[in-house]
Amino acid sequence: MNQLTDEKLKDNSSFVKVDFSMVTFTLAGKDYGIDIMKVKEISKASTFTFVPNAPPFVKGVYNLRGDIISVIDLRVFFNLQVLDNTNTESENMIILRLQDHTIAVIVDSIDNVVGISTANVQPPHPLFGDINIKYINGIAENNGHLYVILDVERIFGTGEAAEAEVSAESGTGRRPPSAQAPVPGAGNAAAAPGKTAEESPEEELDLTFIEETLVTFASFYPSPVNQEWIRNRFSSWKAKRGENVQLANKEDAEAFLSSFYSPFTGTFWNNDFADKIASFINKDSKGNFFVWNPGCANGYETYSAACMIKKYFPAVNLKIIAHDNDLIKISMAPGLAVSKPGEGLIYEGFLAESTGGYQFKKEIKDSILFEYHDVTHNYSLPKLDMVVMRDTVSFLPSDKQKYIFQVLDEYLKPGGLLILGANEKPLEPERWETVENAGVTAYKKK
Amino acid sequence: MRVEYINPFVEAAYNVIQEVLQSDIVRKDLYLKKTSHPVLGVAAMVGLAGDVEGRVLIDMSQETALHIASTMNNEELTEMDELAKATIMEMANMITAQAVTKLFDLGFKFDLTPPSLITGSNMQVSNANEVEALIVPLETPQGLVEINVAVRERM
Amino acid sequence: MKATSDFPNINERKLDGLRENGEPYRVLVVDDSIFVTKQIGQILKSEGFEVIATASDGLEGVEKYKELSPNVDLVTMDITMPRMDGVTALEKIIEFDKDAKVVMISALGKQDLVKKSLLLGAKNYIVKPLDRKKVLERVVTVLKS
Repeated sequence: MNQLTDEKLKDNSSFVKVDFSMVTFTLAGKDYGIDIMKVKEISKASTFTFVPNAPPFVKGVYNLRGDIISVIDLRVFFNLQVLDNTNTESENMIILRLQDHTIAVIVDSIDNVVGISTANVQPPHPLFGDINIKYINGIAENNGHLYVILDVERIFGTGEAAEAEVSAESGTGRRPPSAQAPVPGAGNAAAAPGKTAEESPEEELDLTFIEETLVTFASFYPSPVNQEWIRNRFSSWKAKRGENVQLANKEDAEAFLSSFYSPFTGTFWNNDFADKIASFINKDSKGNFFVWNPGCANGYETYSAACMIKKYFPAVNLKIIAHDNDLIKISMAPGLAVSKPGEGLIYEGFLAESTGGYQFKKEIKDSILFEYHDVTHNYSLPKLDMVVMRDTVSFLPSDKQKYIFQVLDEYLKPGGLLILGANEKPLEPERWETVENAGVTAYKKK
Repeated sequence: MRVEYINPFVEAAYNVIQEVLQSDIVRKDLYLKKTSHPVLGVAAMVGLAGDVEGRVLIDMSQETALHIASTMNNEELTEMDELAKATIMEMANMITAQAVTKLFDLGFKFDLTPPSLITGSNMQVSNANEVEALIVPLETPQGLVEINVAVRERM
Repeated sequence: MKATSDFPNINERKLDGLRENGEPYRVLVVDDSIFVTKQIGQILKSEGFEVIATASDGLEGVEKYKELSPNVDLVTMDITMPRMDGVTALEKIIEFDKDAKVVMISALGKQDLVKKSLLLGAKNYIVKPLDRKKVLERVVTVLKS
């Protein structure tokens, strides 16, 4: 009896100073602990906002009283067997307060707070456990339980450049495919070939969030069309904003997007730009010349294109079909006028004086048909010679983006010219021939 | 739909309905629908030709149709008999004609066909391709009336 | 349709629909809508006119006119009708009787068709929606001319 009591006394941590408290929880039947100083709170949640194109361990995002935080499924992250927890039940979440940010991790069940002495923490043995030992601070025993203490800063901190490769050196020997692949970037599989994951998993997460909030706040849809621009923009944005990378509101989203918009947005083309575009068009063009201009808004682009064609290809029979589903903007388009004509702009020679300013000449007006139309709805176009679609596709959801390119597939003539936004690329680049003239890029259908 | 056509239809619908019902009606926001099938139960249709091809229809529930027909005839109609149908068709006719008149003043030449009535039993308005429709919803004391315009420019 | 005065005056004003001798003017109503036909009928009858016949398309309208002539004082003619439209019917009636008094009823105003009708011999036209006062005014004007 005494012996037991003695041994019990020896193990009794109250005899040794408790200098470390941890929140304990289970993952795939094993016990783990996280330094309580890193734990903000415990929560249960059943709804997450799914984030597309995110790494598999990212469950989504969660609104924690106004803060949008990422939700990581630790079981997936460590490639452990996820218990048959149905999707409809609430998940157990530990909200972590890390150095740079806050995230939520999902675990199987949360136990209690356990106090131990750091003196009793054993270093992890390389053969121990199911997860990579670099993520483990140590092992501690308490009350008959063996706890694996996780180094969450190591796992989720920024600047972690390592790929989350999971070694399954334990007896399970299970190596699910995702364990072998490096953590996929926030972009999808069609991202530029040869680009390795330059960002850490955390940065990929940040990027994923930014992409999600661009949709929410600005109806801007990240896709292969604008992926390259987004990644570059993310780098410069991060450098500028430091910790505060996330887009908290509409203003942030607009600020992020400010460098996206093509030159001459909301204004008329100048002669230089028009000249370069014209250089891509076959000099011998004659007969009917059909142009489609989806997303024409107020009509600046439409009138600019009309003047450009009339200037460089006066012989063709021009017809521009301009579409927008913003009723207010496009209602004003047929009447677009110039109050005080500027210099060096493409409309030179195509304006006629009228009361209170300058209107476009009849030959220009007659060549344009403005229609209030949703370009994702069916429409019978004629065979097109040119499509002017700048900064339009990026504001359509990805299935509609595909649809628009299908429309081009069907209606744009081979050799026909496509003008996209300055920071946009075609969805399937191999189907287009890129043409360039002193900084201005366009695409010809193969 | 061509931008210039919108106001004539919106104004004609508002003017005619307000006048025949002799009461205040509220115009809700316009919008574009992917398909142009009538959906509310009773639809009176007028064909368009000339600068465009297509049609206008006014779409409403049977209940609304009966209420409106009753109001316009100054007597209570309890079923969609010949008189009630003729009344709704006449409303569609007047709206379309007034719109066409306004369009004429703008330089667009439209022709219209005599109206026809489509009810729940023969709602299958065949459309070879799905054509987009402009919807002008009007809230009347007798119920919701939707003006449904689907036209294609002759290019 | 409600109008400001649906009932005849109490002060026994002579009804517009009656001639000097008290006999009603006889009107042929040609329209493909039974609603419009009913409307016009109601307006006219309330003023003492007699609707001697109705027709639902231009062809029937011409036939009835020929049948009932010379007992038709006035014709109201809808423009848009199936089988034979109002303008063609007008033409045929005028051919038959150059003094025929035809008033076009149309939902289309300022249209070429309305102008054409007037050139062909229609005496006047009324634009829908029908207003009781307007209808009676125009009809009376035509009958008195």
